[in-house]
Amino acid sequence: MAGLSRPLPAEDRLVLLPKNPGLFFVFWQFSSGRAESFRNSVFSAEVELSLAATDGGPSSSPVKARWDEGRVYLPVPQQGRSYLASLYVTRNGARERLLESNQAAAPSAGGSPDDRAYASLEFHKRVNK
Amino acid sequence: MSSRGSLMFLLHAHLPYVNHPQESSFLEENWFFEAVVETYVPIIVSLERLAADGIRPGIAVSISPTLGAMLENEALEDKLANYIESRLELIEKELARAKDEPALLRNVKLYQRLYTQAADVMHKYSGDLITPLKALQHAGQIEIITTAATHAVLPLMTRPEAVRAQLSVAVEDYIDRFNRKPSGFWLPECAYEPRLNSYLKLSGFNYIFTESHSVELAGAPNGVYSPYRTSNGVGLFARDAASSREVWSAKFGYPGDPAYREFYRDLGYDGDYEYVRPYLGSDGIRRPLGLKYHRITGGPDLAAREYYDPEAAMARVEAHASDFLARRMKQTDDFYAAKGSRPLIVSCYDAELFGHWWFEGPAFLETVIRKIRAERLPLQFVTPSEYLNSCQEPAELTPVVSSWGENGYFDPWVNETNDFIYPAVYAATDKMIETANRFRNQDLPSLSQRALNQAARETLLAQSSDWAFLLYIGSHAEYAKGRLEDHAANAVKLLSEVIEKRIDEQALAALEQKNCLFPRLDFRIFASVSRF
Repeated sequence: MAGLSRPLPAEDRLVLLPKNPGLFFVFWQFSSGRAESFRNSVFSAEVELSLAATDGGPSSSPVKARWDEGRVYLPVPQQGRSYLASLYVTRNGARERLLESNQAAAPSAGGSPDDRAYASLEFHKRVNK
Repeated sequence: MSSRGSLMFLLHAHLPYVNHPQESSFLEENWFFEAVVETYVPIIVSLERLAADGIRPGIAVSISPTLGAMLENEALEDKLANYIESRLELIEKELARAKDEPALLRNVKLYQRLYTQAADVMHKYSGDLITPLKALQHAGQIEIITTAATHAVLPLMTRPEAVRAQLSVAVEDYIDRFNRKPSGFWLPECAYEPRLNSYLKLSGFNYIFTESHSVELAGAPNGVYSPYRTSNGVGLFARDAASSREVWSAKFGYPGDPAYREFYRDLGYDGDYEYVRPYLGSDGIRRPLGLKYHRITGGPDLAAREYYDPEAAMARVEAHASDFLARRMKQTDDFYAAKGSRPLIVSCYDAELFGHWWFEGPAFLETVIRKIRAERLPLQFVTPSEYLNSCQEPAELTPVVSSWGENGYFDPWVNETNDFIYPAVYAATDKMIETANRFRNQDLPSLSQRALNQAARETLLAQSSDWAFLLYIGSHAEYAKGRLEDHAANAVKLLSEVIEKRIDEQALAALEQKNCLFPRLDFRIFASVSRF
């Protein structure tokens, strides 16, 4: 199930989505030309992803992933701040930023899960017991 | 008696758009049929009965544009009529089967009344349930609001054009359906982030609903007990967690009472296979038929359930309605003692909880409203617009990022079971925006215009929150994945065909028939500088 049966033509794209106060979800795609550059070892097989606070706050340490892995979850450096993700590659030994994401706000943690109840989810969970 | 506080009920009615006109029966269309019979008709009947008795319900109802489109779809109405007729036919057989078993017979007669009621209401309104809802709103009995066009989780839509399209199409759809502008907006999944404020304001919405911690973590002086406003003047109502939990928590809520109807025992599973076979789908797989004769009883063993006793269940409804109101009065008294002002308690629920999941839910809702009048309780129901028009200027607040989903953020829609869908959603969305920008000022041939408009419909449908949610809960997961992939692929294909000037008119017509919501949709709504 985990994967598209009919992938669409890809373009260069790096998207940053909030998941919860602790994690961002990042996915990336490469155009056919860029993908070819990875296959031909023009770029390193590994990419690096990092988060930078848009207001100059703390950034994240880079996280490595295979170029064709396409998605990763990154820890939020500091809750409540907005971030941009960047994707770096190595070409001829030099680190180079290939893609930059949208800006996304990391939620602040709080509230008590016991105090919340989500109707659809609770009832659906019972369905699947 | 003067009120010590106000109650605001918001029922959010939403189903994903499911329409398969080429098939005589389609499993997932049953979601709609079941919701009509078990939820929408009973709630409409309750609201009309209250109004006829001079009791103004004063609740708010959010009707999603996708549900609205299904409620007005004549092909689905015809299938719904067949569905009800088929169930009534089965019920006739059941009446004969149960004739010597009084406890069972009483249950079968209950369903005979339920399905007959649905048939009567559909007949009365010529198959269109928007008509009575519109009449109730026109008479000031309820307030109807809208939500995003296809129920996209807006904080997960990073392109401004996509957010604007979801809001703008919803407004246009509401005006077409209800002949007035919508005042309020239900954020799909109560999912909020401050970036949305400007789009909500520009779309003309006066107020939204947010999850409780969205205001509590923002330092709201009265917590969830008063409305607020954003810096650009959009009203905010925050959901009260306590009143929500009592109604729909599986652990603490009323629906788990042993006297209430058991959802998971169903004739479709219990009946002799050859007997129920004609009423199952074409694949013959056992599935729920909506005839559920047992009560929850207690304990995990479904086989040990006892027959449902409607009178005993209604006695529990009375008790639960009294308990619910007593708790609200305690809340209002506690707040008044602490703050010296009258609180507002905002209770938001999925409409389908009432009737479909919690069979006795519509009776509970009606009983709560009746009790306030009959027992002269110091509480009053108010609609959001009424409250904002009568209260002092709400304090300004910037809510924090939040949703009403599990754990309060976006985990149900972004996790390892469903995150693979986003490249397809973004591929369709990005291409839609680029193509809208390319053609927005061009005088296009009719066929190209049609193809671009249909691509916009397909893009919106790909953005629906429902596909990610179904994948997460593992229910109808293949269908959800297929729908997501179909819509994204349809959008990209149509856009490519327009660019390459090779539109397949026959295929386009088939899509226009199948995914025929938003008839006035103009693809330019996705352009980077749109009508805003």
